[in-house]
Amino acid sequence: MSDKVKFNRRNFLQILGAAGIAAGSGVLIPKETLLARTEKDSRRRGHQSNEVKPGELDDYYGFWSGGHSGEVRVIGVPSMREIKRIPVFNMDVATGWGITNESKKLLRGRYTGDTHHVHGSYKNGTYDGRYLFVNDKLNNRVARIRIDYMEVDAIVDIPNVQGLHGLFPQRYPKTEWVVANSEFQVPVPNDETNASAFTKPKQYYGLHTIIDAERMSIVCQVLVDENMDLAATDYKGKYSMTTSYNTEKGVTISEMLASDYDYMLVFHWGRIKEALRKGNYTRINGVKVIDGRKGHSDIVLRIPVPKNPHGINVSPDGKYAICSGKVSPTCTVVDLDLIDLAFEGKIKPEECIVAQPEIGLGPLHTTFDGRGNAYTSVFIDSTNVKWNIQKAIEAEKKGEEEKKKKEYIIDVLDIHYQVGHIMASMAETKEADGKWLVSLNKFSKDRFLNAGPVKAENDQLIDISGKKLRLVHDSPAYMEPHDCIIVRRDIVEPNVKDRYDMFEHPLAVTESGVKRNGKNVIIRMTSNAPVYGLQEVRLKKGDRVTLIVTNHDEISDLSHGVAISNYNINFVIGPFQTKSVTFTADKVGVFWVYCTNFCHALHLEMRMRLIVEP
Amino acid sequence: MKRLIILIFLFVMLAPVKGYSQWEFFEHRYKYKLTDVLEADRFEKKDGYWEGYRGNRLVGYVFLSKEWTKKLVGYSGKHMETLIGMDTEGRLTGVKIIFHSEPIVLIGLKEKNYQDFMKQYKGRSIKEELTVGKQISMDAITGATVTAVVQNAIILGSARKVAAVTGMMQFAKKKRGKISTKFRRLTWKELLESGAVRNLRVTSESLGMKSKEVYLDLYFAVVTPPSIGRSLLGDRLYSDIMKRLKNGGSAIVVFARGKGSFKGSGYARGGVFDRFNIEQQDRVFVFRDRDYRIVTEIKATGAPDIREGGVFIVRDAEFDQTSPFRFNLILPFRIGAKKEFKSFGAEYRLPERFLE
Repeated sequence: MSDKVKFNRRNFLQILGAAGIAAGSGVLIPKETLLARTEKDSRRRGHQSNEVKPGELDDYYGFWSGGHSGEVRVIGVPSMREIKRIPVFNMDVATGWGITNESKKLLRGRYTGDTHHVHGSYKNGTYDGRYLFVNDKLNNRVARIRIDYMEVDAIVDIPNVQGLHGLFPQRYPKTEWVVANSEFQVPVPNDETNASAFTKPKQYYGLHTIIDAERMSIVCQVLVDENMDLAATDYKGKYSMTTSYNTEKGVTISEMLASDYDYMLVFHWGRIKEALRKGNYTRINGVKVIDGRKGHSDIVLRIPVPKNPHGINVSPDGKYAICSGKVSPTCTVVDLDLIDLAFEGKIKPEECIVAQPEIGLGPLHTTFDGRGNAYTSVFIDSTNVKWNIQKAIEAEKKGEEEKKKKEYIIDVLDIHYQVGHIMASMAETKEADGKWLVSLNKFSKDRFLNAGPVKAENDQLIDISGKKLRLVHDSPAYMEPHDCIIVRRDIVEPNVKDRYDMFEHPLAVTESGVKRNGKNVIIRMTSNAPVYGLQEVRLKKGDRVTLIVTNHDEISDLSHGVAISNYNINFVIGPFQTKSVTFTADKVGVFWVYCTNFCHALHLEMRMRLIVEP
Repeated sequence: MKRLIILIFLFVMLAPVKGYSQWEFFEHRYKYKLTDVLEADRFEKKDGYWEGYRGNRLVGYVFLSKEWTKKLVGYSGKHMETLIGMDTEGRLTGVKIIFHSEPIVLIGLKEKNYQDFMKQYKGRSIKEELTVGKQISMDAITGATVTAVVQNAIILGSARKVAAVTGMMQFAKKKRGKISTKFRRLTWKELLESGAVRNLRVTSESLGMKSKEVYLDLYFAVVTPPSIGRSLLGDRLYSDIMKRLKNGGSAIVVFARGKGSFKGSGYARGGVFDRFNIEQQDRVFVFRDRDYRIVTEIKATGAPDIREGGVFIVRDAEFDQTSPFRFNLILPFRIGAKKEFKSFGAEYRLPERFLE
């Protein structure tokens, strides 16, 4: 791509000449090619265009959490077009997520969820394009999404916690572990065996959960007194990190804000593995729980930061962790090379801090451009602030006078309105490329047509390829994305499939038919546009019916729907996909089963009957 | 193991498949006799064809396409079985469709339209170019481009194979070249000048439009040699494509800009690219979307912006990427509301420098 940006018009004419010769015709310069050149100029630094014309594709896959919609969304960046919604913890009546047996097995009766952080699996500090992981703050689960099918393949319940919030995968050498934090301290265990702790908040704890990314099972939990919200991992596979805003163990706002200092916590993975090896844990609800409390073990390092910090993000060079202050107007820059010294007791934890620049009122999250600059979302001021990390460190060394000049701040952009998370393209990898920034704003008043009292969020797209931040596009978002990642297309695209591996599903149907065993009926049916493999099935009232359908159309994009009239059932099957539903034939009559997902010129004729006899 | 046994049991227990009979509605089978396509008073059965005699004189051959080009399938995913007659000079004496399940009726056509399309083959020589949009008109089945293109490939491919077997036409059995694994990153200019990338340019004027603009400026190349593939596609995409080719096959890349489109949009539903194919001696290769990967930019230094592009994999081992082939383009376009077709072609020969 960089080659192309450098490309100038003069060269282009020469090349066209060459093309003309190769074609055996004269040199011919079509007008539209010159126009095309001018468009390419709009990729110049600081002048990027977000326009993606018909037939063109976005440069990035954006993966957005869906907040309390419970889903994950795929957004094309920079066009900001929503390409797909991946149902995760929610019920989705379009695809049948929560309706089919396959999805019910994963959801186990819970159809609410609150996704905050979606992150990709890593290899050597950058995305490998295999999986996405996402948390459920509401029902305390972690789901994994296979990128090849862009659908959930595993959900793991996290016991002993509430407010499962920050989540981050291991970045190096590859994602074997995923960590997730509990934001709400609770009694551990939180059940009748521990009722005496219910009214004693001092006996509430937070847990840092480590999940095996391949098996999607829990490796262990580290118990601490503090609560934890955001999570991060380093680029060497040594630590996971978090911020805590309730070191006070408060249960009311005033109690949570009592102390002037809270912590950044660092978890030492080597020592966690050692504790597991030595058996230094207790089993609670089947999970190995390691005591990480102050004075009980040396697994957790506590670095004091100004009160109630929020985001924690690691710079793409792996050198610094930056805690955004929230209640404090500062960001705290922690030098990760000093962490080992602090763990060994050679320096004090606070000596790992190398800068504390003042950014603005309410800094929440920080992201990076790979050129040494940080971008912090500032909630109260409603701005995105670009600042230089090295300059902030130098100012810190020079002292208060120098800091007051704030020369480390490069640009400030007003956003509309009140930003939460902020994320730059590839910023959570060593390949941060400093092209685009997305500001996930919580209010959108006056930015879109008024659609009633409950309004959309406003995701603003900002060009960060130049020196200044340039607002390029507003896009409304249904409630409520919290965080996103922006992944280069070439990482994801090769892994995405156009059809399912048919026999990955053990019940894939190759021949249609009905099998009855007493009251249990298994209907196996193929589906080829525009015909289902069966035209009618006879049932008796009260039959327990399992309907298994396999889409035999190989053509990419040719999905079928299967809806059973008046039976509250609908699902969609992609090319070569199999899904099943189980229901009781409790209504007598003729019920048309029809294709809901347009498939063919004779799509409307694609139907069959279930005849339920009394 | 237990589950497997249960599954096997299930298969055995399945009731007769009622729904499958519905497919017959979409199928069209016709009776035929050999004299439908060749006037002869005696036929002699050979391996895969019949010799037709008038008196004692050999006057031609009759054959069924499924013996020769069964792999070519239409919109329906099925082969269109064709009875073909040809004289000893390579002139088609008649063609008759005997089985198809092409859904042409769904786009407002009738079976008669299909038969009218077939009529125009009579008298055509298979030794000459026979392309849809040029010698073969789409008028009878306008809209059913996939059907027309595949049907044409079936007739031409089958006839040329029979011509080769009967000694009427000779196709040199060249030993396959070996692709050089050497890599040097080439610029766009170098790729064009070396002949690694060929250009096919369709002006608006050539389509009868009152415009000076280039309607379609198309480039194509064999992808496999690293100096071509890596330079054009970039390292990542090239290695992805090569991974897909590890069990054999080859690939071509096609890029284009301008108002027209070589991909069209018909493949979105039918899965078959109906606007282009490649022809090599007695074979025609048609591309499907399962062996396709979108390309949106040319990585080679100095390359122009493109409007569309794709890598198309040829799975058929009969294709020899080291031998010359022809790229055929069948371009539909509109003059006012009237839809017309015109065909174009360009020869390709992989330059020696990319071979060992």
